[in-house]
Amino acid sequence: MNPASLIPAPDPLQVPWGWFQVLLSITFLLHLLVMNIMIGWSIIACVNHIFKLPRAEENQLISKKLPFTIAFAINFGVPPLLFLQVLYGHLMYTSSVLMAVFWLSIVLLLLLAYYGAYIYKLQFTRIPGLHSLLTSFIAILFLAIAFFFTNNTSLMVSPESWPRYFDEPNGLLVNFADPTLIPRYLHSVFASVAVGGLALGLYYDWKKRHGDLAADARIIPAMNWFSYATILNFGIGTWYFGGLPTTIRTVTGTASAFTLFFLLSGIGAAILSVIYGLQRRVRQTAFAALAAIICMVAVRELVRRQTLAPWFSTSELQVVPQYSPLLLFLAVFAAGLALVWYMIKLVRPAHNPATNPVDSEVQS
Amino acid sequence: MNYPIWQLDAFGGGLFIAVIAIFHVYVSHFAVGGGLFLVLTEMKGLREGSAEILAYTRRHTKFFLLLTMVFGGLTGVGIWLTIALLSPAATSKLIHIFVFGWAVDWVFFLVEIISLLLYYYTFERLEPKKHLLLGWIYFISALMSLFVINGIIDFMLTPGEWLTDNNFWSGFFNPTFWPALFFRTFMALMIAGLFGFLTSVNIKDTTLRHNMVRYCGIWLLAPLVLLLASALWYKAALPAPQQEMIFLVAPEMKPFLGLFIWLSPLIFAGGLGMAILRPQNVQRPLAWLLLLLGFVQLGCFEFIREGGRRPYIIHDYMYSTSILKADLAETRKNGVLASARWIHNRTITPENRMEAGKELLNLLCLPCHSLGGPLNDILPVARRFSPAGMRSFLATMDTTSPYMPPFAGNREEMAVLADYLTTHLTQGTGDNPVRIRPETLVPAAFNGETDEYLILATTDMGMVLSSEPEFSGIDFSFAPPTLRAQVIERGEVPAVLGKEVQVSYRVKTDQETLTGTMTAAGSAFEATLPKMPAVSSDFRPYVLAEISASKNGRIIAATKLKIGISTTLGCRNCHGGPWRQEGKTGLSRETAANILAAHDQRSKTRLSRAFADGAIITCRDCHADSSRDSQGLSERLNLSAAIHGFHAAYIDHTDPNTNSCDFCHGNNPHGATGKLEDLHGGLGLDCANCHGTMTDHSISLLKEEKQARIPHGGKLLALIAPKASLPVQAIKGRSPWVMQPDCLTCHQDFRPPETDSAFNSWTQDRQGLYAHRHSMDGVLLCTSCHGAPHSLYPADNPHSKEAGNLQPLQYQKNHYPIGADQGCAVCHTVAMEEEMHHPGSLGTFRNRVE
Repeated sequence: MNPASLIPAPDPLQVPWGWFQVLLSITFLLHLLVMNIMIGWSIIACVNHIFKLPRAEENQLISKKLPFTIAFAINFGVPPLLFLQVLYGHLMYTSSVLMAVFWLSIVLLLLLAYYGAYIYKLQFTRIPGLHSLLTSFIAILFLAIAFFFTNNTSLMVSPESWPRYFDEPNGLLVNFADPTLIPRYLHSVFASVAVGGLALGLYYDWKKRHGDLAADARIIPAMNWFSYATILNFGIGTWYFGGLPTTIRTVTGTASAFTLFFLLSGIGAAILSVIYGLQRRVRQTAFAALAAIICMVAVRELVRRQTLAPWFSTSELQVVPQYSPLLLFLAVFAAGLALVWYMIKLVRPAHNPATNPVDSEVQS
Repeated sequence: MNYPIWQLDAFGGGLFIAVIAIFHVYVSHFAVGGGLFLVLTEMKGLREGSAEILAYTRRHTKFFLLLTMVFGGLTGVGIWLTIALLSPAATSKLIHIFVFGWAVDWVFFLVEIISLLLYYYTFERLEPKKHLLLGWIYFISALMSLFVINGIIDFMLTPGEWLTDNNFWSGFFNPTFWPALFFRTFMALMIAGLFGFLTSVNIKDTTLRHNMVRYCGIWLLAPLVLLLASALWYKAALPAPQQEMIFLVAPEMKPFLGLFIWLSPLIFAGGLGMAILRPQNVQRPLAWLLLLLGFVQLGCFEFIREGGRRPYIIHDYMYSTSILKADLAETRKNGVLASARWIHNRTITPENRMEAGKELLNLLCLPCHSLGGPLNDILPVARRFSPAGMRSFLATMDTTSPYMPPFAGNREEMAVLADYLTTHLTQGTGDNPVRIRPETLVPAAFNGETDEYLILATTDMGMVLSSEPEFSGIDFSFAPPTLRAQVIERGEVPAVLGKEVQVSYRVKTDQETLTGTMTAAGSAFEATLPKMPAVSSDFRPYVLAEISASKNGRIIAATKLKIGISTTLGCRNCHGGPWRQEGKTGLSRETAANILAAHDQRSKTRLSRAFADGAIITCRDCHADSSRDSQGLSERLNLSAAIHGFHAAYIDHTDPNTNSCDFCHGNNPHGATGKLEDLHGGLGLDCANCHGTMTDHSISLLKEEKQARIPHGGKLLALIAPKASLPVQAIKGRSPWVMQPDCLTCHQDFRPPETDSAFNSWTQDRQGLYAHRHSMDGVLLCTSCHGAPHSLYPADNPHSKEAGNLQPLQYQKNHYPIGADQGCAVCHTVAMEEEMHHPGSLGTFRNRVE
């Protein structure tokens, strides 16, 4: 069976695809950062508790903030999922159906993890004996969800694996035929640990700059998480890269050249971030890491486009112009950001380290 | 068509979406109404200077946050994922049409999260004015979120002008946008009160608890009145097709509509009860009960709204099968297997029929049905049908069950799917061909040389149908047959005898014996049997009668007569159930129960209950039956019009593999009764040649009823009119049993026919019926020489070569009409030269048999 015959016909767009691509990339970057912190923190807390590392303050901080990161990881996940569906919906709906059981289970797993995180936060001081179990539970759920996402994005760009549906129509497909599936997943997981560590580092750096003398010592393990996870990711990234099709790995056109450019830039920024990280220069590490992540998001987009090139390109999408809804969105988005800024300003005097309501809430 | 189908088996039929959606909708409405509740409750605390109320508000906020932000937010994403799995094509449409609507909704979602977190975490740490401002920002963003989602959800029910202009704004501000928005807002406020009860009943201080419970009661009761008003507005704003679907067409809507209405006073009373009943151990369970009732009420509403767009998923645009309305003609022409993408068997072969059937099931049934699950299970439905019944159902489901889409495939696919559903997926009511073992019957004796008298006897109907009420519990049988006999004294000028002779009958089977005398009526003797004779235990579609004539106490002539009775009623083709007798014939109680259940559902009767209590349901008690002089109820269709008119919509008379009349009347050549024995059947004619197709036949009956202003006549007529072979105006209305096809329409002046259609030319009264007509000399009944209607000589009954021709065999030793081939000697003792009985009566019979 020719997989091309299975690719559904896409629906037309209201504005040219470039708009959606920009919105997708920006919102995905935001989601990626928060989601990495969320997963990374759950793993770090889990390791801390299991190995009984002396990181009580770090664990308590994670317990306080983890529910917020989940809330924002979900919220920031909405727009990239939306814009992805606009551009690649016909591929993504298909891949989702092929692995429907796993895909739908994400809702339940996330719900359990979310409430688990709230228990971890609200009952932190009351159930110390359950910390290992609870954080393992949360981390395993997140790791499972991450694997399902990786599987979906792999299936989405692999129409050649779609005919397997005819033997397995019950939504249980895992794309093990894709040699990048496992390294890609591990790459994301280690990146999460790195970003989670970096976020801790940034927090303690901020505390340090606001006079918290104990914060300095806490920066070291945080930056170790970042640096060693990133170092490991060089190896996993190489494995991942080796699994990509030859057409993508070799520079054969403009797209490949862009991919190579962003890839090398990303690697360069990542090396720099590791150097800074080992030197405990937190903010420099963060800038370099952010640059590396931006480059990797670009690489990710370009690799997807090149992988799909034999089957589909977003430039093929028909446009039936209708700009007023876009203008409405941009206006509401701007107003929403302004409102968020206003609210933060509104509460700022009430929210300082000395009288931090969140801290006192958790400690009460 | 475009996407693979997630084959969920028992978990299909919308189970996932039902479970996730109802919970999400309830909590998400709470997220809106509850936001206002928080702000106004905090204001109440501030106004009254009550630290306790403020503390309560904070506790309630924590509960609110954990429920709405975590559960509500995630189940919202869950709905999104679920609809994309179950209806990817529709989801894609909604995403692409409203992408920036969704994006705007996300912005409000973001503001909601931030404002709610800040509101909760700055309790008592921010000056009240600013804190309240955060609460107001939360509520307004939540309300705006509802505003956006409401437009998209109601677009699916009432897309309005979008169907023609494809404009975002036309779709968004669709015809039910505003009433739905108000309805949902009031519902959200009510739900805020219900959840308020849940937390306020746990307040320890008695005075404060009573104060807050009463306060929550206002939240519940005040919007409830407005909710009902907006529900009426919502209903009024619905276009006619959606209104009909909800309030008239879809039978499963009724309990939900009823429940929705009845729950309102219950919730109202519960709200009052909360204010009056003060003990905490009463209030706590009552608060949970009210929360549950609110949940059920909202669930009912969502079910009704979802149902209202049937058979579409986007009304008038995309069917629930995800096939676009605009593509239907093409898929019906080319077939869905050729048009869909995720198909393995593109062409149907004898080897892959069942595999192709499975794929058709996936494409056309699974979008709405489960296989053995709690929702929309297709198995019990399929089990009720024979393959032919299922074919007919599929062909007509969009008109008979308008909540279902039209069958989207071609005729071959329809047959394959029907076979798959009724022979593979389930064991439906289909039968293997019945093997008939013919019997030999011996006619009565007759000596043409010495006998002075003879009897020519027939019935008024060659074949009657019996529903065997004593077994089935339902009586829609034909009237018991009327026997007619003419006693002839042979001679140069034969005489038809009257009162000078006595004629009696005897009908005997292994079940019973009926005897009686026949009454002289004109030139014949008549007797209507006191009851429908019971068929023999070894089923044959007839019983035999012996007729004898006596004069002065001496039997002067005798003959045998076949009385055709079929119990092979095809009801179970669609109503399910087993055969009653020998696994091959007879209406079973189970089938009868299903028929009555369907009648109760459609016509709001309570026949099933009476049936279960042992009563025999007699259709003519309500539906007039002129064959039995039964008046019925004046506002009801007569029985013939009702049965034919109703079922015509369900039966596909264009199915090349089925004679639509055999479907019910039992003359399926492969069934226990076997083919119609009449001469015309052997000549290749079928029922429709004289009576019209099932549709045309029904229209002729319904038109008469419509003219008589019988309710439902016009409604059924409108339903089947599109299938008529003639314009409805051209079809002449007729009364059943009286106005029948006229033989002379084809046999003009008794000549060989020049046409093979007698439809639409009716006899005007009973005397014009073939069974009552006489030869041109006015002496002999037509039936005396030619046999009973539907059993004309030479009859070819598959159960016995002799059965339908007993008198020709008795008097002429052949199967032909009495006197055929110049056989005048049956009655006349001299050769005849004039065609006294009718032109051509001295000719050689044309339709020879071997």
